[in-house]
Amino acid sequence: MKRLRLLDVSLASVSFLVYLALYLPILLVFVLSFFSMRRGRVRWDTFSFEWYARLFSNESLGEALLNSIIVGITAIIAATVIATLAALHVNARPSSRSARMLEYVIFLPFLLPPIITGLSLLIYFREIGVSRGLATIIVGHAVFVLAIIYRIILTRLNSLSRSLVEAAQDLGASRLQTFRFIILPNLRMPLLTAGILAFALSFDETMITLFLAGTDGTLPVRLYAMMRVGFTPEINALITLILGFSIVLTVVFAFAWRRSGGIDNNRITRI
Amino acid sequence: MRAEDCVLWGFAALFILIPLASFLVYGFFFVVDNSVVYRPTLANFAEILSNDSYRTTFFKTLRMALEVSAINLVLGYATAYFIWLRPPAWRNFLVIALAVPLLMSYIIKIYAMRGVLGTNGLLNSVLLALGIVDEPVSALLFNLTAVRITLSVVLLPFMVLPIYISLERIPNSVLNAAADLGAGELQTFARVILPLSLPGGIVGAMFTFVLASGDFLAPELVGGIEGFTYGRLIFSQFGLAFNWPLGAALSILLMIVALAVIYMARRLGNPRWQR
Repeated sequence: MKRLRLLDVSLASVSFLVYLALYLPILLVFVLSFFSMRRGRVRWDTFSFEWYARLFSNESLGEALLNSIIVGITAIIAATVIATLAALHVNARPSSRSARMLEYVIFLPFLLPPIITGLSLLIYFREIGVSRGLATIIVGHAVFVLAIIYRIILTRLNSLSRSLVEAAQDLGASRLQTFRFIILPNLRMPLLTAGILAFALSFDETMITLFLAGTDGTLPVRLYAMMRVGFTPEINALITLILGFSIVLTVVFAFAWRRSGGIDNNRITRI
Repeated sequence: MRAEDCVLWGFAALFILIPLASFLVYGFFFVVDNSVVYRPTLANFAEILSNDSYRTTFFKTLRMALEVSAINLVLGYATAYFIWLRPPAWRNFLVIALAVPLLMSYIIKIYAMRGVLGTNGLLNSVLLALGIVDEPVSALLFNLTAVRITLSVVLLPFMVLPIYISLERIPNSVLNAAADLGAGELQTFARVILPLSLPGGIVGAMFTFVLASGDFLAPELVGGIEGFTYGRLIFSQFGLAFNWPLGAALSILLMIVALAVIYMARRLGNPRWQR
């Protein structure tokens, strides 16, 4: 019994350290966005919104933020259309060899190191004469988030009873009608979940984007450029704002995920 | 072929397969006077294999990725196991708390680690306050150790989550059966729980290794000169060095390693008795 106690305590302390390591850096940035620091000590008497004020006068950041939003929304719309088509395709013929091949191909950009996805698109676009810009970034992001959206939609489709579709077809519904009135209503939550998750991924994507960005980059690319030059306290303020935004997205995502059944669907189809 | 096949395969070909193919082909070209010569050669690969600094960087990076995977496997397993032992309400909270950092910007987390590891950083303040060191340690930032620590922290959720999922999949009946047959806690763990949750650990280690070996952001931002990794070597070919074919050839080696690791993880993570 005593040995078990010891094991419990050590498990708990390792876990505590892991969570600490995950959250402490972020907390530090948050604190430093309001206070200044001198000789490694936070000066608690210096609370101000100075860094935030400076941030809002920085036009290039606003531009980068706008780029991020444009890229995210466009890439997700494109990826969702393709991913839904692909999921319907694979769901309809799960044992077909070409469908399984397609699945592998869709997963490639997600599984390979991002550096490879990024540079292969860079080389490709150069060879076909497309210069770097928002359009190339959009393609990169769409390809990157495709697998996630596809997976979430396919999971939901697989959990749908086949008799629903068969009943619709028996009653004379066309393929389009079956999709519009039977399948699509069932996909609403998964589509929302996938969309939020994909947007969060796109919003943070840096490595692929660095290869594909021309002069107008997204927010992380702009941040990267700022960080390389050196330390400016404005970055802390900007990061705090982005983190706030990410947390809101995450909470919305967690909520949507729960309502859509989340992992449970997956488990049901497995049994 | 129906219309949807055309659309799907068209998209896959245009934006996934042909780009990958052109990257693979590019590795066999070469550069003269800043422009690419489209004639196949093995010169890039010969250079990579014969050049000492490329080779050292390659193996240094693989070793670093392996170390990060090993450390995270231990830390991640302990954490996943801890979460699994909690009551359900706690579990959900802990899992979500683990997933939240995954949705936070990667580059921001790396940047934040600078604030922790720097000479004026948090870790040094703590060490000083505890009296462990007398003056700030500068050895924590801008070297390979900093890259290890940063990657380890950033990639931890990729390890804990798959292990936790495989722990959660163990049916209660199996645990009850072990207890009914008289297995002690330790025996149940070693002969039932550990083998059944190991596939999750393998998946986690795979993710960690592939992501760590190809990463160039963390090494660039916290690595300094010593932390010059393979990812940075590749990235530099597309920047100042402007030798895209060499960069492609370097990436081909990285891709072969990544694919081999993914393949191995699939074999190991899906043992015969589970198929």
